[in-house]
Amino acid sequence: MTSGNPQHEPRQPTGMRLAFLLPLIGFVILVGFAAMALVSTLSGKRDLAQLPSVLVGKPVPASTAPLLFNSTATLDLTAFAGQPILVNFFASWCAPCRAEAPALDVLSNDITIVGIAYKDKPADTRQFLSQYGNPFAAVALDRDGSLGLEWGVYGVPESYIIGPDGTVLLRHAGPIDRRVIDQEFMPIITGFK
Amino acid sequence: MIAELGHFALIVAFVTSLLVSVVPLVGVARGHQGWMQLAVPATLIMAGGVLISFACLLWGFVTSDFSVALVANHSHSAKPMIYKISGTWGNHEGSLLLWIVILVLFAAILALRGRNMDRELKTRTLAVQGIVTAAFLAFSLFTSNPFSRLSPAPLDGNGLNPILQDPGLALHPPMLYLGYVGLSMAFSFAVAGLLQGRIDASWARHVRPWVSAAWCALTVGIALGSWWAYYELGWGGWWFWDPVENASLMPWLAATALLHSVAVVASRDLFKSWTIFLAILAFSLSLVGTFIVRSGLLTSVHSFASDPARGVFILGILLFAIGIPLVLFAWRGPRMAGTNSLDLLSREFGLLINNFLLTAATVIVLIGTFYPLILEMVNGARITVGPPFFDATFNPVMGVLVACMAFGPVLAWRRGMLPAWRLVGLAALIGAVMVGMITLATVTDISPVGLVGIALTAWLGAAVLGDMAARLKPWQPTLLTGRLSGITTPMWGMWCAHFGMVVFLIGALGNGIFASEKVVRANPGDVFKLAGNDIHFTGVEARQGPNYVTQTAILDLRRGGTIIARLEPETRLYTAERQTTTEAAIRPRIDGDDYAVLGDGDATNGYTLRLYRKPLVSWIWTGAGMMALGGLIAAVGRNRRSDAVRASAEVTS
Repeated sequence: MTSGNPQHEPRQPTGMRLAFLLPLIGFVILVGFAAMALVSTLSGKRDLAQLPSVLVGKPVPASTAPLLFNSTATLDLTAFAGQPILVNFFASWCAPCRAEAPALDVLSNDITIVGIAYKDKPADTRQFLSQYGNPFAAVALDRDGSLGLEWGVYGVPESYIIGPDGTVLLRHAGPIDRRVIDQEFMPIITGFK
Repeated sequence: MIAELGHFALIVAFVTSLLVSVVPLVGVARGHQGWMQLAVPATLIMAGGVLISFACLLWGFVTSDFSVALVANHSHSAKPMIYKISGTWGNHEGSLLLWIVILVLFAAILALRGRNMDRELKTRTLAVQGIVTAAFLAFSLFTSNPFSRLSPAPLDGNGLNPILQDPGLALHPPMLYLGYVGLSMAFSFAVAGLLQGRIDASWARHVRPWVSAAWCALTVGIALGSWWAYYELGWGGWWFWDPVENASLMPWLAATALLHSVAVVASRDLFKSWTIFLAILAFSLSLVGTFIVRSGLLTSVHSFASDPARGVFILGILLFAIGIPLVLFAWRGPRMAGTNSLDLLSREFGLLINNFLLTAATVIVLIGTFYPLILEMVNGARITVGPPFFDATFNPVMGVLVACMAFGPVLAWRRGMLPAWRLVGLAALIGAVMVGMITLATVTDISPVGLVGIALTAWLGAAVLGDMAARLKPWQPTLLTGRLSGITTPMWGMWCAHFGMVVFLIGALGNGIFASEKVVRANPGDVFKLAGNDIHFTGVEARQGPNYVTQTAILDLRRGGTIIARLEPETRLYTAERQTTTEAAIRPRIDGDDYAVLGDGDATNGYTLRLYRKPLVSWIWTGAGMMALGGLIAAVGRNRRSDAVRASAEVTS
């Protein structure tokens, strides 16, 4: 790598010369990961906005979390067996969650909604619910994000529809609006009525 | 016919761009004058081809030619003319073409001007710009052809995503692209410098206007995007740390660092390889900003079109356009070390700190944006990095930067402090302590972070004013005009930009700390109290727009019994697209905005209303505007001065 004329080249210590390689190394690593992600997206294993979550068609993860309004109990999704439910990951610090609050409010007339407060302080969650309304039949606390990890949550807000038998039917990443309700959720929900 | 003409012009431009990329470089290497001279005319032909092509696409949108697939998918005959026009770049293919238009326009400006530039540098820079153009023309022609025909042609189009039918958004992409692509010129200059094996102060003087222009456009573009999100998305926020926003913030941070480091190259012949690296980094981040969100690699609430198949091509371009320059940098960079020494107490060292902090901030945003992707690849877990991450990492770095900004301008080149530093230091200290005390005394339960933020803002504001006072000395009995003429135009620019930062911080902090909001279920006749105002909900009525119908809520804003304003938030149903959007009603005032959003509801169950009071929020965009204006003033002033220097040099010679 030392072509060029050494007379015109100020002598640089080797460590200094290595520093000039750092951007290249960083770039190659980043591109490597991007390529991996791209390959798995192309092969259909990974789709961000729409369904194929690894969970779809499988039973919901069994792990539990403490409840916001009942400190002695923990979240038990099997208690809702026999009816479809919507599990909604949200957080008080998440702006799109505020935007979808009215939509969730409307949706709560059609389906039982369980909220999971993702990486949020309970006091902030309470404040959020008192401001934006509480459409949830139960609110669980996922303070360290471990539940989100298990469900494979990409970001908040994110919602899952669970069938009466406890299998995950659909995953929706991003805020819910009228169009999502009408075109994605209602066909599934009305199927159970 | 027109569409075929556009397609043909694009092909001509592509072939010419291949010529521009290869022939002049060979000419420089072999010392062949004729081959070198090809760079200018070929660049102009390439630019002409792209412009004709873009005009043809624009024609297709304006005349609603639905036999062109792109027009059919993204336009509609019932759309207002301005959105037919902005629809041209409201989609992937068209925005890519707009990107290329700006790329070749800048190349053409350099080809026509820059007569006093070193011939080899100009030729190489044009060639590198040609290579970048060729890569994007290939991308456009082979994967995203905007001129594909539809047969049979539909009777009417699918419409444009209604959320994009907005004046702010009609202007936002072109401004942002001006910024992104402006950085391509700095990039081409940097790669040309690496090919030369040396850069000097004259190199820096030629790059500087491009960096300034790009930085100003980027600042305005980001501010427009943030403003659009504020009033159009109806979430009441102005920055969400979303991947798309981060993608535009990263090149801005890198360009800000570049803006300051180019100054050191121009004045002190230091930081040369570092400046080259920043130029490559800034444009690389622009590429990432424009294209990664379209590749389906990252999700965002803002991404309107993404296609993983396109991602392969994008990754190829990134590998080619960033990878090769970085290899070149690792090879040639070390020999470009400056020859001057660096003193600890000097302006160049101050700018080194500036660069270090801005680069650290860039890396933090980079990590926050890509960490979820990397983690997913490593162990399959999908996580999100929200505002908590950025609050804990980005904000402290920016806090230190603001603290240092106060003293940068009073450091002298080479060594020492300017005499103004005493007054600046005193002003900053008094400002920070006084405003901090007042805040503590008047605001109950202020958070420590908020208090530090307010004190730092006062610190910087007082320092900028102190610097101005120290140089203008308004208290001296002699005429002020003499001292006014002693202030150079770039210095006014710097004060304007730095004070813009203060104004921005006032807005961000005022809104972050003192905002109040309320979500209510309302029936006609209800009155709500918010931040000293009574908000009276009189009812909801239906209205007819040009291509939508609305539900409009009427809210009377009262203070002390008198009506001071009427807010009319609405939800729109776009009939062609069958999509709804919410339009927030905003009463913007200098001391803050009143902001209302109409949610779901009906006459029997009542309506959901979201009501906000957002103190000082408009200062955010005013501050950004001042920063951009300051950059512009400095660039224009510097240009004038170098013209004057050149003119006087010509007279004396």
